[in-house]
Amino acid sequence: MTLTVRDYALYYDTATGPVRILDDISLDIARGEVLGLVGESGSAKSSLANAVIRDLPGKVHAERGSICLGDEDITRASAATMTSLRGKRIAMVFQNAATTLDPVQTLGNHLLETLERHTTLDASARQARALELIGMVGLPDPAAMMLRFAHEVSGGEKQRVVLALAFACEPELILFDEPTSALDATTAATLLDLFRELQARTGVSALFISHDLGTVADIAHRVAVIYGGRIVEQGPTEAIFARPQHPYTQALLASLPRPSDRLTARGLATSGARPAPRRGEMPACLFSGSCPHHDPAICDAQRVHAVPIADRSIACARVARGETLPTPDAPAPLPSPRDSAVLLEAQNLSVTYGRPSLTDRLRGRTALQVRAVRDISFQLHQGETLALVGESGCGKSSLARSLSGLQPFAGKTLLGGVETTPDSAAWRARVQTIFQNPDSSLNPRHTLATILGRPLKLFRPDVDRPAEIARLLQRVHLPADYANRYPHQLSGGEKQRVAIARALAAEPDVIICDEITSGLDAAVQAAIVRLLREIQAASGTALVFITHDLGILRHVADRVAVMYLGEMVETCEVSALDAAPWHPYTEALLSSSHSVDPQSRARRVRLQGSLPKRTQDLPGCPFASRCPRHLGPQCDTQRPPLRQPEDGHAILCHLADDTLHAVPPIWQFKTPERTTP
Amino acid sequence: MKTLRALLRNPQGAAGLALCSLVMLTAILGPAIAPNDPEAFHFGARFAAPSAEFPFGTDWYGRDLFSRILVGARSTVLLALLATVIGTALGAIIGVVSGYLGGMVDEAIMRVTDAVMAIPSLLFALMILAALGSSALNAVLAIGIAFTPGMARISRSVTLQVRSLDYVSAAKARGESLRWIVLAEILPNTIAPVIVEGTIRVAFAIMTLATLSFLGLGAQPPAPEWGLMIAEARDHLFRSPWPVVAPGAAIAIVAIGFNLLGDGLRDVLNPRTGDHA
Repeated sequence: MTLTVRDYALYYDTATGPVRILDDISLDIARGEVLGLVGESGSAKSSLANAVIRDLPGKVHAERGSICLGDEDITRASAATMTSLRGKRIAMVFQNAATTLDPVQTLGNHLLETLERHTTLDASARQARALELIGMVGLPDPAAMMLRFAHEVSGGEKQRVVLALAFACEPELILFDEPTSALDATTAATLLDLFRELQARTGVSALFISHDLGTVADIAHRVAVIYGGRIVEQGPTEAIFARPQHPYTQALLASLPRPSDRLTARGLATSGARPAPRRGEMPACLFSGSCPHHDPAICDAQRVHAVPIADRSIACARVARGETLPTPDAPAPLPSPRDSAVLLEAQNLSVTYGRPSLTDRLRGRTALQVRAVRDISFQLHQGETLALVGESGCGKSSLARSLSGLQPFAGKTLLGGVETTPDSAAWRARVQTIFQNPDSSLNPRHTLATILGRPLKLFRPDVDRPAEIARLLQRVHLPADYANRYPHQLSGGEKQRVAIARALAAEPDVIICDEITSGLDAAVQAAIVRLLREIQAASGTALVFITHDLGILRHVADRVAVMYLGEMVETCEVSALDAAPWHPYTEALLSSSHSVDPQSRARRVRLQGSLPKRTQDLPGCPFASRCPRHLGPQCDTQRPPLRQPEDGHAILCHLADDTLHAVPPIWQFKTPERTTP
Repeated sequence: MKTLRALLRNPQGAAGLALCSLVMLTAILGPAIAPNDPEAFHFGARFAAPSAEFPFGTDWYGRDLFSRILVGARSTVLLALLATVIGTALGAIIGVVSGYLGGMVDEAIMRVTDAVMAIPSLLFALMILAALGSSALNAVLAIGIAFTPGMARISRSVTLQVRSLDYVSAAKARGESLRWIVLAEILPNTIAPVIVEGTIRVAFAIMTLATLSFLGLGAQPPAPEWGLMIAEARDHLFRSPWPVVAPGAAIAIVAIGFNLLGDGLRDVLNPRTGDHA
């Protein structure tokens, strides 16, 4: 065994008394094994990594149990011993490579320093090893890469360097704390491939922590599901995802989207788990407060511990008695009230950043300009949901800000057929925006009554405000007495509901949702999406839903627009995503989204090459530098034509319609009950 | 009332409130409870150490320091407070507006404040007094204006962080007026560091007022103004420390009191920590 954790418990001291962080944690990681640790936000999954690397950020109140690396109990190790272990026998890869790397050191120095600290190699051997490591993580031109600084390389390249650092001293165990969460899907997919290959080659053990079950399903041999600082279910990856048995795991999986959802008309369960109690007396079963199968006679009889049952260990009193608990029912997806009338239209919309400064203009220099959005035209129909998908930097947020009247742009916008500018009063009364992060979109100094009252005062001054505020809260399923609360007294999902209620206050025709579900846990995300659909059904509001997540898109969108480097490379019906033709970028995007469904297999399409500079004016196709289906010089030099392979489907590509149609499918489902949409 | 109760639950706030109440009571009741005439000479007891008759000792004319401090509290503390309030309020609004508007307006306002900050605040106050004529109220105004650029800098730096937050974008997208965005959305979220800085400035204001008095531009001898008392006693420091220690300690208590009150207020006014305190 590389790592053995037995009955580990950790309590922190806070101003208001001790808080339980972890308890009853027992797990093993064998040599060459990858254990995935999954849990929602607040489940203390990162605290477990902190405990293993012995870098506890809080003030420890009590710590029990043992964490053994090999045969050595590291909870008793001295600080000096730990210093020599870290980096040598245990390495760690953090979420954000941008803050992991020291900005004033070259990338090479990071590696050389680690090697100098932990190995007996001489200077030239260290140099050689560093070059080898950089080559090993697939970075081009290692010698040049050694001399670069962190800000000179992309996010994916930074994370590769961090990976090289972790592998530098051939450790026994690597801890990954959300290593791909900050990366784009296509970049994350190549990084995971790289790790899988390196892991197989070096035989390192790993603890892979993530909130993204799809990623874990892809990489881990075994999975441990953590809830409220306790592992509730642990076992082989395939078995857990195919047949979850703990009610928490079941609820978690039922709320996650799958690629086959549209084909099987599967809905998402919205019954999420409440946060587990952290203070004071603990219930016999931590999950009993949220459990649909809670039976006081069985569950509250005695403290529930994880027990081995068949292929897994599971902390549930009813499963331990041999019961099989049914998975929760998910409500069927709601149809959207779409209509053929065009509500909102954008014509040749462009957003450019970077105005030449006065001194530059006087000296006759032209400033570097970034074209965030180029020449985009689209139509939004009454009551429909148009999803804008793309990775970071594709211009989707710039587009949202333009449509919210926050960003100047070139081009024309029409509302109901009449040319209207987004910063006009007429537009504002009919188009509302919901921002990504409810923590920053709600003023912490205002009560919900003020937050919801302002748009009422501005847009509907005649209504009875307190009554309308209560009605709005009720529409987003919040109790009316929340009106006197402050945003910080609400959970993340509740805050986003308030943001939705604020947008609804104006009774808009269009709501722009800018990544509104990305910071939320799966069940909360499912509930928000459900709520949006309910609202649409009741009021016929059209949505512009901006996201980078293809999974959730299948549950909310009617039409999809895929953006790449400021251009819309493909627009189609959401059902068209299930089969060719696709734009080659859409194809890669679809392939890099993970699935928790063990019945599905994805064909692997990975993007090589790098993004062109944002300030460059490209004569050809924006995707040419990374396109796996690159045709030849025409891709680099000529603007691609807008193809219409079928009705309502547009693809910006040089590839001929026939070639696009002939692309093999990405997802293959072994599910027998496949139905046609 | 709710703020007051929360303040009392907060240890720093309660201590600060106690000290400040003591100071304010002194300012109000001082002349009434002073045991001696603050300007009466006791030539038999020059440089006396603290005793039952003179609790804080006496100065070089034999004047009772305890009575002088009680009587002087009113002019010293109230004027310093007024100067700080003027400087803080003016600075906070200028800073928030400048930070929010950005661009050329921000550049212009900030370069002017930089220029003003380059002049030592005492010198700047002197200039203002020279222009307005010397009186206690003009001295207060001068100190308030001299404090403004520093406060503007602080509130602007916080505003720059707050302005990029989504709730400001949301207000803009909603078409809110500049007044609402500045006063209701941004200002309350920048107030914490401004209040803390303001409470520290109270002590500075007392010292600057004292200096102005010393230069003959504020309170005039034999007025029992604390700063003036220290300035005058400076010559006799080697014969007896009491004429410096007593008003010095009084100023320190005011400074510490307002500082603690500021810390307490910052916690209480923050909705995130306010109700758990």
